[in-house]
Amino acid sequence: MKKVKTFEKAIIDLKTFWQNQGCLIFEPYNSEVGAGTFNPATFLRILGSKRWNVCYVEISKRPRDGRYAENPLRFQQYYQFQVIMKPSPADIQKIYLRSLEALGIKLDEHEIKFVEDDWESPTLGAWGLGWEVWLDGLEITQFTYFQQAGGIDLEVIPVEITYGLERIVMVLQNVDSVLDIKWNNEMTWADVYKENEIQFSRYNFEYATPAFLNRLFNGYEKEAQRLFKAGLVFPGYDCAIKCSHIFNMLEARGSISISERANLIARVRALTNQAAQLYVKSISTEEKKG
Amino acid sequence: MIDFLLEIGVEDFPPGILGRTGHFLSSQLENLFKTKKIFYRSIRTIYTPRRIGTIILGVARRQKPQVLEIQGPPKKMAYDENGEPSLTLKSFMKSRNFKANEIVVKRLKKGEYIFGQKEQPGELTEDILYQELPKIVKGLEFPRTMVWNESRVRFPRPIRWIVALLDRRPIRFEYAGVKADRYTMPNFHFSFKPIRLEKPREYINFLRHGGVVVDPNERRKLILSRIKQTAAKLGGTPVFGDEMIDELNATTEYPEVVGDEFDPDYLELPGEVLNTVLKAHGNLIWIKDSNKFICVFSAKKKAIQNVQQGYKRVMQARLFDALFYYKKDIKQGLNKMQEQTKGMMWLKDLGSIYEKTRRLVKLAAQFDSIPNLNIDALTRAAELCKADLCSMIVREKEFTSLQGIMGGYYAKFQGEDDLVARIIQEHYRPITIGDGLPETDEAKVLSLCDKLDNVTGAFISGNLPTGSYDPLAVRRNGYGVINLLDHIDSGLSLFKLIERLEKLYNRPVPVSTIKDFFRERLTRYLQNRGFRYDEINAVLETWSGDVADVHKRCEALKGFRNHRDFTQLIIGQKRLRNILKDITAFKEIDKTLFKESAEKLLYEKGQEISAALEPLYQTGNYTEILKLLLSLRPQIDKFFDDVLVMCEEEDLKNNRLALINFINKIFLQFADLSKIVIEG
Repeated sequence: MKKVKTFEKAIIDLKTFWQNQGCLIFEPYNSEVGAGTFNPATFLRILGSKRWNVCYVEISKRPRDGRYAENPLRFQQYYQFQVIMKPSPADIQKIYLRSLEALGIKLDEHEIKFVEDDWESPTLGAWGLGWEVWLDGLEITQFTYFQQAGGIDLEVIPVEITYGLERIVMVLQNVDSVLDIKWNNEMTWADVYKENEIQFSRYNFEYATPAFLNRLFNGYEKEAQRLFKAGLVFPGYDCAIKCSHIFNMLEARGSISISERANLIARVRALTNQAAQLYVKSISTEEKKG
Repeated sequence: MIDFLLEIGVEDFPPGILGRTGHFLSSQLENLFKTKKIFYRSIRTIYTPRRIGTIILGVARRQKPQVLEIQGPPKKMAYDENGEPSLTLKSFMKSRNFKANEIVVKRLKKGEYIFGQKEQPGELTEDILYQELPKIVKGLEFPRTMVWNESRVRFPRPIRWIVALLDRRPIRFEYAGVKADRYTMPNFHFSFKPIRLEKPREYINFLRHGGVVVDPNERRKLILSRIKQTAAKLGGTPVFGDEMIDELNATTEYPEVVGDEFDPDYLELPGEVLNTVLKAHGNLIWIKDSNKFICVFSAKKKAIQNVQQGYKRVMQARLFDALFYYKKDIKQGLNKMQEQTKGMMWLKDLGSIYEKTRRLVKLAAQFDSIPNLNIDALTRAAELCKADLCSMIVREKEFTSLQGIMGGYYAKFQGEDDLVARIIQEHYRPITIGDGLPETDEAKVLSLCDKLDNVTGAFISGNLPTGSYDPLAVRRNGYGVINLLDHIDSGLSLFKLIERLEKLYNRPVPVSTIKDFFRERLTRYLQNRGFRYDEINAVLETWSGDVADVHKRCEALKGFRNHRDFTQLIIGQKRLRNILKDITAFKEIDKTLFKESAEKLLYEKGQEISAALEPLYQTGNYTEILKLLLSLRPQIDKFFDDVLVMCEEEDLKNNRLALINFINKIFLQFADLSKIVIEG
């Protein structure tokens, strides 16, 4: 039998590749996030003018995308591989394509397409221009030049490259479902996560208690505001991240109306923007001291 | 003669603005060459997702020679009595370096003057380009731009290389931190190695070998012919429009085409859903009424198998989702969804979607006078028309455009009348300004009511369109209302409908602002129908809310332009208007105060015409009406010839003004013809 690239090997390959590009190898954040962008290693570190090159795996939690493990491509939780390079190198598109080659994707045997995508995160007050990258029609990466974060115009433009790990490995292993991916030579993705996926789908859609989530949202919001007042940016931002996830949970549960939805998004954005402003203030005083 | 190539290499450009940008760049270069008087033979626009440029063949090395002309002293001071050059002339020649054969005499208004004329060689094309090219790139305008490096230059996507090659020499100008040179990039599926160009003529072929068809016209033809070939092989009709081909053209450097099939189980889904899924996933082209499709891609030929498999995998996963939703929706039924619309907010503070449909039912009832209108089906459709907004499928971002269409299918599934299903399915049309109208009268009425409610709701909630900002598409909705009213033979006044809506909302509605908005929309609509601005203005002066009627009046007025006495007709009312100007209050006409026979004659003619017009207005015979109005002209002229309106006797003056007003009103019943502009 032909040996395939395992899920874990793909992660190792990407880490090695980006390490060679000068990226610091970071690890996932310790709270639930919808995307690697929420990790302070992206959201806060892209602010200011200091050089920052980093890569890390992030567990992306999107409660609304759960399908009880019945859809081959949609899950309420999957793995992202996040790369930030600030400033963005002039040949970054080529470097990215080389990283696909490093994974074993031969560019002359596939179609790689950069599909226009103006990225925006209303909860982070962030936006950028870039692309979804399609591999033979499958979206495998989000490629973005950030322009603004936390409502602040960026001094130095970073590039964010977010790989959808399961999807890429699916192609590498030539299987039709994420569930069938070989994690290592013995276990599949389904072995590791299928039951988890089903249970979390039930929790997100059926069992989560909106009243409890609402209480949590309000509580974390207050806590964040209190912490920001005390100048504690990182713990305050941590609470903002929690609010964001709770909002995603409420939305999946279908318990917020359209106008309420806009209101909750605005409240999360207020927190993340405050964090960004405080962070910028703290680094500028630090730079002055230095 | 030499050639010139400019290529701006970018990371994949937004397809929606690519073609426009390419053509604009070429036209700017063309302008440059023309204004700088640099000869060239031909110019060709090139663009692919990763490059925008122009090839100009047969370029002159220099500008055309320029004639330098400098005015010197007057002729009489330039020569002495013997006709020899004077000191003045000599010093002029010396200071400006003119030879004797470069001196001419020219006659100006103030007398004859000496001029020095000489031909100067033009500047080098190379030098001009070096100066001007950065300005041209900088002058390109875009709706949305970004910053990517320290230069802080703004462009839709990063500029990564520039080729500027005049014959064998690169023009090394710098822009956005990139220095122009002679190296271009191939298709990255083929290689990362830059391609060195000795001269512009190599460009097209070298790039073809590098996996890039640079000419957009050639690429388009290639795409179309390959689609046709593949469709013939698969057997069937491919479903695509021009827009789709444009987008494929703007997203491929080297188009290849492959056909395939998806699992026939998905044929259970309506064709609209299949087509939407295929289109959303890489502009896949559906072969009508089959499980076959065509994929246009941009890679090497040997990628075909992977491409086929890959696109199919993604698309089938989406069809899986769609079928799952579709079945759930059918099982749930439209009635249940309608129930759920009670919990779905429409616009801020304007109640639920359900309440909106209640208004539509009542508003639609206003149209019961239309002959043969099936009011029961219309009412039922109005109740159900928004229910599919609560279906699982329409709630998915990808399928929101299927609103109405899905409602139609679900209506049939729960056993509604065919006509009801059809009305629901059609009631969003016209979606765009150029879109066709629904075919059934019932759907036209429902679409009209819905759009009018959208406009009114937007105005109440303060979501007014300003500039290019119109998030609720109020303008498009307003245009639709006008278009539909013009095509429904109801005789209903738009103003009455708005007033009816005001009652249904049971809250203050800015009625007069809405009327002004519709006046503007109606003007636009009539302009698009080919009427002149002054014709529209004249007719709208007396608009009472009937759209079809205004259209007919414009039609008649436009037709009457060819009448030999058209100008006479217009001047008739202009004479009346000139006297009346700003006067608004008039006395009753007193026949005993008529002094001149011209007054009496005009009055009697007015009475006669007025009576004759009445039945014509009933039938809307506007051409005849115009003829009758024209027949007033001799009496008007005689009146103005014989009668002094602004006479000293107050009584007589007021009576005459009242008479003119009476006649003017006869005209105004049709239009304010004094607004018509008469040429010549």
